[in-house]
Amino acid sequence: MKSYLGPLNRDNPILTQTLGVCSALAVTAQLKPAVVMALSVTVVCAISNLIISLIRNTIPPRVRIIVQLLVVSTLVIMVDQVLQATFYDVSKMLSVFVGLIITNCIIMGRLEGFALSHTPGASLVDGLMNGLGYGLVLVVVAIFRELLGSGTLWNHQLIPSSFYEAGYLNNGLMILPPMALILVGGLVWIQQGTRKSSEK
Amino acid sequence: MKTFSNRYIFIYITVMVTIIALLLTLVSLGLKPMRENNQQIEKAQQILKAAGYGKIDKKEAIALFNEVSERDDLNGEEAYNIQCADGTQGHVLYVKGKGLWGPIWGYVVLSDDFTTVKGVVFAHKSETPGLGDRITEDAFQQAFIGKKLYDKNGNYVSVRVLPAGREGGISDDNRVDAISGATLTSKGVDEMLQQLTVDN
Repeated sequence: MKSYLGPLNRDNPILTQTLGVCSALAVTAQLKPAVVMALSVTVVCAISNLIISLIRNTIPPRVRIIVQLLVVSTLVIMVDQVLQATFYDVSKMLSVFVGLIITNCIIMGRLEGFALSHTPGASLVDGLMNGLGYGLVLVVVAIFRELLGSGTLWNHQLIPSSFYEAGYLNNGLMILPPMALILVGGLVWIQQGTRKSSEK
Repeated sequence: MKTFSNRYIFIYITVMVTIIALLLTLVSLGLKPMRENNQQIEKAQQILKAAGYGKIDKKEAIALFNEVSERDDLNGEEAYNIQCADGTQGHVLYVKGKGLWGPIWGYVVLSDDFTTVKGVVFAHKSETPGLGDRITEDAFQQAFIGKKLYDKNGNYVSVRVLPAGREGGISDDNRVDAISGATLTSKGVDEMLQQLTVDN
């Protein structure tokens, strides 16, 4: 049971395996696109893990990467279409990054490293947990960036206007990609630091 | 490891691709009405914004758009007559051009006599976030309001998008500052607007 929860902390795809960092920097300026992206990746990761695991004994090893890419890109295109039909403005905010889920190393990594050699049930959970681990980092980073960079959360103004009248300014650096990298770096630091002390 | 014949691999991939193609076609066709509806709403919202109505709620955009505008194509291009928020009549012209990475397009609202810009909106498919995609920001689009299409001698120059210091003799009445860091996207907007044909 403990190993299932690994992706949320010790084996976090972004913090420990340093995968999927590009999209984590790109979509975290606001909470809403970050949550939608996190859900999209989780859905794609879980379902592709399940499908690949179900057909793992029929996949010829020589073309397994092609088969994996076919499954992943099919799911991503479907997610993209659903987003365009239901969350049109968010899908525009995410722009190319939904399509780029296809090349997200977390998903290919889980398919290669887990789904090909495990049962469908375990693979589904593994995909789900890795997607959630990725999403967790996105949401934490996005909360910092939106709150400090725009004074809002989920587009609701949280910092009262009296603060601005008293001279408070939004931190413009927060909404630029470099600050996302610094925040992710900070999370890696915290996570690595606490891990060491618990393993001593 | 199990070995698979070439024949098996070939049939496997063919069957898989066929299933995926069918699946994607079904999803795409099934969601098409919702996607198109979203695009219609967005277009109505954009044109209304250019005509000075501000941001109109999704639910009201199409109704309001139909109320204040009527289609009146110009030179075979999509165009509308519209009653602007300030009570005057205007003409909405559709423009399209090339950005750095993909197509850009927009709507230009002109005064009744086709000489003055009353507002613009621009949209793009895949311009760089934070640089080229700033053509969709209010700060850039509001700079177009009140610009003239003709110079002081009555020659048609359209509205040029040129960086300060490289105006090339174009007066500020006919010029908007280019976006620094987005030279090619700005150039795309410049070229797009030069194709604006207002001759009746």
